[in-house]
Amino acid sequence: MLSRVADSLYWMARYAERAEHGARLLRVRLEAMIEQGELESSEGWRRTLYALADTDPEDPSADPRDITYRVAFERTNPSSLISAIAAARDNARQVREQTSSEMWEQINRQYLKVTTLDYDWIWAGNPAQTFIDIGDGIWMFQGITNSTMRHGEGFDFIELGTYIERAQLVARLLDVYLSPPQEDGPKFATPGYFDWISLLKQCTGFEAYCKVYTAQISPRKIAEFLIFDPEFPHSIRFAVDKVQSALEQIAPGAPQTRRAACARMAGRLKAFVDYGSMDEVAAGGIQPFLASVLKQCEAIHDSVYKTYISYGLEDVVKS
Amino acid sequence: MTSEDHALPPELDDGPDDEQAGGRFARPGIDEPFDAYVIDHTYDECFQPNRWSRPHYAPLHELLSSLPVEEIQRRQLACEQSFLHQGITFTVYGDSKATEKIIPTDLLPRIITGAEWDAVEKGLKQRIAALNLFLKDIYHDAKVVKDGIIPGDLVFGAKHFRKEMVGVEVPRGAYVSVCGTDLIRDEQGNFAILEDNLRVPSGVSYMLANREVVRRAFPALFRQSRVRPIEHYPQLLLETLRSLAPPHRENPRIVLLTPGVFNSAYYEHTFLARQMGIELVEGRDLLVHDGRVCMRTTSGLEQVDVIYRRIDDDFADPLVFRPDSVLGVPGLFEAYAKGKVVVANAFGNGVADDKAVYAYVPKLIKYYLGEDAILSNIETYLCREPAALSHVLANLDKLVVKAVGESGGYGMLVGPHATPEERAAFGEMVKADPDNYIAQPTISLSRAPCFIDGKFEARHVDLRPFILTGAETQIVPGGLTRVALRRGSLVVNSSQGGGSKDTWVVGA
Repeated sequence: MLSRVADSLYWMARYAERAEHGARLLRVRLEAMIEQGELESSEGWRRTLYALADTDPEDPSADPRDITYRVAFERTNPSSLISAIAAARDNARQVREQTSSEMWEQINRQYLKVTTLDYDWIWAGNPAQTFIDIGDGIWMFQGITNSTMRHGEGFDFIELGTYIERAQLVARLLDVYLSPPQEDGPKFATPGYFDWISLLKQCTGFEAYCKVYTAQISPRKIAEFLIFDPEFPHSIRFAVDKVQSALEQIAPGAPQTRRAACARMAGRLKAFVDYGSMDEVAAGGIQPFLASVLKQCEAIHDSVYKTYISYGLEDVVKS
Repeated sequence: MTSEDHALPPELDDGPDDEQAGGRFARPGIDEPFDAYVIDHTYDECFQPNRWSRPHYAPLHELLSSLPVEEIQRRQLACEQSFLHQGITFTVYGDSKATEKIIPTDLLPRIITGAEWDAVEKGLKQRIAALNLFLKDIYHDAKVVKDGIIPGDLVFGAKHFRKEMVGVEVPRGAYVSVCGTDLIRDEQGNFAILEDNLRVPSGVSYMLANREVVRRAFPALFRQSRVRPIEHYPQLLLETLRSLAPPHRENPRIVLLTPGVFNSAYYEHTFLARQMGIELVEGRDLLVHDGRVCMRTTSGLEQVDVIYRRIDDDFADPLVFRPDSVLGVPGLFEAYAKGKVVVANAFGNGVADDKAVYAYVPKLIKYYLGEDAILSNIETYLCREPAALSHVLANLDKLVVKAVGESGGYGMLVGPHATPEERAAFGEMVKADPDNYIAQPTISLSRAPCFIDGKFEARHVDLRPFILTGAETQIVPGGLTRVALRRGSLVVNSSQGGGSKDTWVVGA
């Protein structure tokens, strides 16, 4: 498959995953806010903004309506929800002949929908509903992708993008809730019961968690579930396993010597989370653990690019 | 029962022996919703001068006379929505949002009889055969010049003559593998050639997309009309490209080269690549290694055999053509000239669709094929000839004047529609560089019914069939009908406010 096409499919998937994650975080936040006092609410918004890597998470003057606008609908904000959907669509547009028409039409429809929303109208009703609809639209895109596109190499690049993005998004979210305050980092109040529920909901994991641990809410168990559960699709371990298996499939024609570096890195990350345990994490500190996951994901990304996408002519001609 | 089988409106008041006035047919220029429909000396595709519809248009006319306007509106909207969702759009630059607009499409099919089409098809095949022979000749022995059929300076001095092509062998002599020829109808209803597009013609995706939506809008009428199919165009195109591949390559790799997502025809490029199941590549995906053209894949380099390029000569190879092009592939031309890769269309075709060379095509047909041209040209004054020049300058208000090397409706003056100042300014340009201009009488393109603001009105149309030449020459019936949607306008180019229609060739 063309390197440029692989690049577009990979980023299409990453942006779609990012947009769905953002919509979900906003939805949970907007729903939680209804029952919260001023102080709790602003703490919740700060956490959400840090988890979304927002540019201005400590803006004291911002009210939820302005914040929501900035992180969701501001075109000039490159990390806004609308920018992520536009980027997913732009990438999809560049590989239209590689994807199914149904995929393109869904992401295009979704894009046209969010670009024509009336913000006053959204806020006049239940704003959370808008983000439920947007998130559903992206899920539908991912579902359509899964059921209409050939599960060949292009699909493997989509899987790779989706799950590398997801591993990083979940790691960043957990960091905001679980890491002790760092010297140079933001300070949060100790999360309370409702914050833990929010965290699980922000990972679509409340019901799944209850099935494993019952409704007994314990920070350590939540961490264990969201990091190590092998079967829950938004756990770090699940995402890392998917990254590793996608990497095994891509570029079947490339010589083993070229494939080795990526495979080794993915194997190391997989072993890191497959064989890790909550005791070890607790002993070494949750923050360094999550930072290592993020760093390894980035290294895999770089290696994929160097090996399959932006390689130099000399890299392939001699082999 | 379909929604087309609607109750008929009350009887219309007209003479009893008037076959089409029995209430089932709304009379153009008289009855709603055809009351604003103009019939004059211009040939009308649908109506005869006596306001009766032509027989092949009668079923559509009858349907439109009875369907509530709101229903047509609903179908038109559904068609526009479908275009928007499929992304059949072009980008309007200028405002900050880079708005995407759909290509205007009119829901009403333009209908041609099978007999009319068969004659056109024969004429087009004849013309393309002569043009391919002409290109081969001028890039080899130039016998046509030596025999005095066409002036040498006109050929070799043409803007798009490529000296690099001299002596290059083109597989099967198919310089023009994909041709989009523009035809119009004169006041008598005869088809005539307006221009040949032999370089990178576009619009075929709109032909196919229009068919999709119009078939859905008028299913019963479509079935009953026995419309000749066009859906196999992508297969024919692939067959054509395959027939150009080097015979020793068992599974030739065929790709479509696009300038990229910012090109206004990008939708068409992705559409065709998807329909043919071939790779869509950009210049940056290709490189020349060891004399061969390869594409960069995740598994390494892969050789490419045939390139259907949708990028102009100028941008294809910065080493040979425009050095500032970032869209092309350095070294592509050399690989092509050495026969390591096939590029369709060939380079240097622009010399044969030059507007001055156009005037000679009937003579070229006679010279190469020994036949008279089946499809006539439009009378053309070459300003390079002194007598013609003075005639043109004296009659600017009656003529259409065009720069020879331009296309897409640019660099032209429509005399009757221009102001005296515009005519004077254009006249100066012509005088300064007469070789660069030709003139033609203003021809009132034929008109066909269009749905405009809740009424049926007559608008000028032309026709662009797509002619494929590989091992043989093939044409899908009909083509793209382009419409000048602005009232009175004769300009059908999509870059200049034109739209398009589905084209039905009906009957045996």
